[in-house]
Amino acid sequence: MNYQRILNFAIAKPKAVYSLVLLITLLSLAMLPMIEIDTDPENMLSQDAPARVFHNQVKTDFLMRDMIVVGLVSEQNIFTPQTLSTIEQLTNDILQLDGVIKQDLLSLNVVDNIRQLNDENEQNQGIVFEYLMKNAPTSTAGSQAIQQAVKRLPMLNNTLVSGDDQAIAIYVPIVSKDQSYIIAEEIRTLGKTYLDNKNKELTLHITGLPVAEDQFGFEMFVQMGVAAPLAGLAIFVLLWYFFRNIPLIIAPMVVAMATVLIIMGSLIGLGFTVHIMSSMIAIFLMPIAVVDSVHILSEFADRYKAGDKASETVKQVMKHLYTPMLFTSITSAVGFYSLMLTPIPPVKVFGAFIGTGILLAFALTITYIPAYIARMKPETLANLQQALQRLEQKGRLAKSLQQLGVFSVKRTKVILLAFIALFFVSIEGITRIEINDNPVNWFKADHEIRIADKALNQHFAGTYDAWLVFTNNNHNETQARSHFQQVLEKALDGPTKSAVSTLINNNLHTKTPQTADNTINAFFTQELLITLDDMRFDASDAEQAWLDELVSISEQALTAKQVFTNPKMLNWLAALQAALVENGDVGKVNSLTDIIRTVNRELNSGDDKDFTIPNSSNGVAQTLLQFQSSHRPQDLWHFVSPDYQKTLLWLQMTSGDNQHMTKVVDWLKNYISNNPPPINIQHQWAGKSYLNVVWQDAMVSGMIDSLLSSFIVVFLMMMLLFRSIKYGVLAMLPLTFTITMIYGLIGWFGKAYDMPIAVLSALTLGLSIDFAIHFIQRVRELEREYRSLSKALIAMFQEPSRAISRNAIVIAIGFTPLLLSPLMPYITVGFFLASIMIMSALVTLVLLPALLTLLNTSSKSA
Amino acid sequence: MNIMTQNTASYISNLKYQLLLAFLVIITFASSSQAQQLSANQIIDKANLAAYYAGDDGSAQARMIIVDENGNKQMRQFTILRQDEKDLGNQNILVFFSRPSNVKNTVFRVEKHIEQDDNRWLYLPALDLVKRISAGDKRTSFVGSHFFYEDVSGRNPNEDTFTLLAEDETSYTLKAVPKQPKSVEFSYYVINISKSNFLPIKSTYFDSKNQALRTMTVSKVKEIAGNATVMKSRITDLSNNSYTDMQFRNVKYNVGLPNNLFSERSMRTPPRAWLK
Repeated sequence: MNYQRILNFAIAKPKAVYSLVLLITLLSLAMLPMIEIDTDPENMLSQDAPARVFHNQVKTDFLMRDMIVVGLVSEQNIFTPQTLSTIEQLTNDILQLDGVIKQDLLSLNVVDNIRQLNDENEQNQGIVFEYLMKNAPTSTAGSQAIQQAVKRLPMLNNTLVSGDDQAIAIYVPIVSKDQSYIIAEEIRTLGKTYLDNKNKELTLHITGLPVAEDQFGFEMFVQMGVAAPLAGLAIFVLLWYFFRNIPLIIAPMVVAMATVLIIMGSLIGLGFTVHIMSSMIAIFLMPIAVVDSVHILSEFADRYKAGDKASETVKQVMKHLYTPMLFTSITSAVGFYSLMLTPIPPVKVFGAFIGTGILLAFALTITYIPAYIARMKPETLANLQQALQRLEQKGRLAKSLQQLGVFSVKRTKVILLAFIALFFVSIEGITRIEINDNPVNWFKADHEIRIADKALNQHFAGTYDAWLVFTNNNHNETQARSHFQQVLEKALDGPTKSAVSTLINNNLHTKTPQTADNTINAFFTQELLITLDDMRFDASDAEQAWLDELVSISEQALTAKQVFTNPKMLNWLAALQAALVENGDVGKVNSLTDIIRTVNRELNSGDDKDFTIPNSSNGVAQTLLQFQSSHRPQDLWHFVSPDYQKTLLWLQMTSGDNQHMTKVVDWLKNYISNNPPPINIQHQWAGKSYLNVVWQDAMVSGMIDSLLSSFIVVFLMMMLLFRSIKYGVLAMLPLTFTITMIYGLIGWFGKAYDMPIAVLSALTLGLSIDFAIHFIQRVRELEREYRSLSKALIAMFQEPSRAISRNAIVIAIGFTPLLLSPLMPYITVGFFLASIMIMSALVTLVLLPALLTLLNTSSKSA
Repeated sequence: MNIMTQNTASYISNLKYQLLLAFLVIITFASSSQAQQLSANQIIDKANLAAYYAGDDGSAQARMIIVDENGNKQMRQFTILRQDEKDLGNQNILVFFSRPSNVKNTVFRVEKHIEQDDNRWLYLPALDLVKRISAGDKRTSFVGSHFFYEDVSGRNPNEDTFTLLAEDETSYTLKAVPKQPKSVEFSYYVINISKSNFLPIKSTYFDSKNQALRTMTVSKVKEIAGNATVMKSRITDLSNNSYTDMQFRNVKYNVGLPNNLFSERSMRTPPRAWLK
């Protein structure tokens, strides 16, 4: 056997083993400073996932920025000179911060108002385009005037000022979301200087997904520094409790530390970013890495007698444990490797590196541990044995395990029935599982981000964005094109004519075949129009007439495609908007129709009856030309593309729950099929809330694939290991029950199925099979030894069951420091892992003896 | 000279400053070969005259290309008719849109006043609506371009205090500080004026941290009927490098526009003869 040679080498040349481990660990350690944290939930989708590509296209096309939402909430009406002056000063300060996109910042003192001006005799003096609040008012009347003005501006009402007039928001667009935590901190500091001194009744809240993400990254970093060492400490203390021998338990700790450092070092060194999932790698690997060592130490302590040669005993132990350890490591690794079948990059990385980490831990365990033990002094080894025997003879664990053994063998039918009943209850629980995630809920409920989120969403129409983009589907320009050709053909030959012909030929040949939004292949473009018009600057007088006609044809063809100036289309959008809000899942919709209707109202009487879409496309275009005569003409392009062939509806929602978003998506599909748009347009979703839905869906289906495939692989391996279909099936039973029960429990408790929960399935599979392998392997050995199953089972509930329980406890306790984390995914993983370990150990120790006994009696009676 | 007498008060208040400035200019350019020494305000008056008051009246076809930060382009075309009451004085202006076709025949009418607020009206043909635009901020966008209303009609020199910063062979460099800082979005601007024709060639607007916000640059000047005329200029938003190019064609001076042309009637019924 190949391993034998490795083992002999390790025992003979321990220093070589030590140096190698040390060298690789130091190399990996050197990689750690290159760490790059990634907390962007967008990265749950790969760079080229269509939904993500479209989302980013929308961000670019409509100049949508990552926003920090700053909210000032008061107990009373916020329209007082003092509060407004605070808003003004705070806004001006924020405008000075680096990384803020000034021209897109939204705050009361930088946005525009459009209104009617009447003189004292109520005579209309025209319309005014002005800053809504250029300088904060000094009087109450002035404050109230601003309050009234906001109510008349649907784009601002309930977005910049809450409907109950108790909260004001500042939307701070930032150049890069990586800076959001720093900028948020700067704003908090600025806010403090204003709020502490004079505005005691005001509270400042900061929210917005970029802040949440960036802050999450910060805290994640802290967690990695705290939770992983704590897990290490917990395991150390536990090992000491079991073995009472510091030199001995240093060995598994070294294996764990080396594994964690090498894996994290290579992850970072290979250029992977550390995402929320991969940040948990250390905490996952630590307990898993010590498991095999615990098996070795337990068995070594059992077999070693004073005066024995430690190297000989350890060789026996290793010979005995090598195969089950190899199989448990491979199966655990397979469980994690199966995560690579999910379409979610961070989960893939997580699975790949933990899988490899488990194999690495195995390799370290089978070389380093024997080398270490063989070198231990005889006195230390004698102490070890004493300590172990004391623990095992009088331990509560030993006693209760014996009782459990008796119960398992005697009450086989009850146990079987109970498990079947539990199984069905769990299945019912699984059908109740709610699939939902919300990155803001990754923080605990008392975190300042969650508090801000709650406060602001209580007052405003919602701080969660989704973007609904409609695109013109009709690109028919045949008529205009043939007209164009006719005019061009009739034109007198000359330099300009040949220039136009060349231009057109070039355009036709260089066009890219197709892009995401099908607007390519259009003959008439702004570029064509402008190039033709450019020619008019140099063309001769004789050429002017037909050239101008070509410009006109091109311009009109472009105008004809501007579907989002069409009143029918706009009225349809306005109705959709109203229905979305009516339906209740959407707090507010901001769109082009609000801009048009508001300006149209003020161009006319200023009364609500004129809050309508003008009845011609030209009317719409002329209204919009007026909107653009403001301080912020660029605001228009957040809602419509400059070619008026795409429009964006900005939906504000009060929660970032995927379920909430999914409901809206489904509702829209239904609405559109019942109320088809008057013009052939298509709709697509973008925005962070929507992206979350996309990766969540991908995760659920991906997890099912991953679970099924690893189940099959592990099942095949079990049949191979035991050379028996019967034992293969038996080995699979504990994990099948454990997974079903865990997910049943999640369903019954109403805990949402989110990313960490999804990943647990792979973990359960990998870990609970360990217990089954060790159990079946030992039972079969003992059965051969005693020639009796019942005797074998009694022996099983001595040392072997103690090793299994000890392992379950080590891992369960090892994960408990996660419970102290302020981040929910860590808590979830910590809690469920502990439960999984205990549950799968119990299932193994109860179900397997019961089934073995039952099968034995039935085969005898047959 | 009008402007001087009419603004005696403000000039007296600036007298000390002017003297100091004159002194500085003399010191700075004592060795300059330039025989004629102009004060900052004289330069500005000449520039204003060259840029906005060429001829007694004029017409021009303008074309704007607005380019956003993504490189998307939009084109606007309009004809400007202008009539001066007197040089550096009040003016009547009509702006007739011709393209895009969906805003065709939209008209702006301005009575530009030096001593009081301008009167502004707007006609929207599709809504059949003449509306007065109340006097207010002039630093709003001109139909979505990077040009402000004030860049098109001319910023009133009375709004700023000018100092001559530098002078070389070809141009003057002046600094303009607004008298009412709260009325504008910049802290000051620096303007380069050509010595040969007194046209402003470049203006740069700065914020309080001396950070350049936007620039106006002239890239083409042509002599038309004895008047040096800006044929192409660009305003750039330096925060994202978006810009608008404005180009002129068919520039004419002293065409003899009748006084009654500048009326509401012309807004509703475009005077085709003058728009050719």
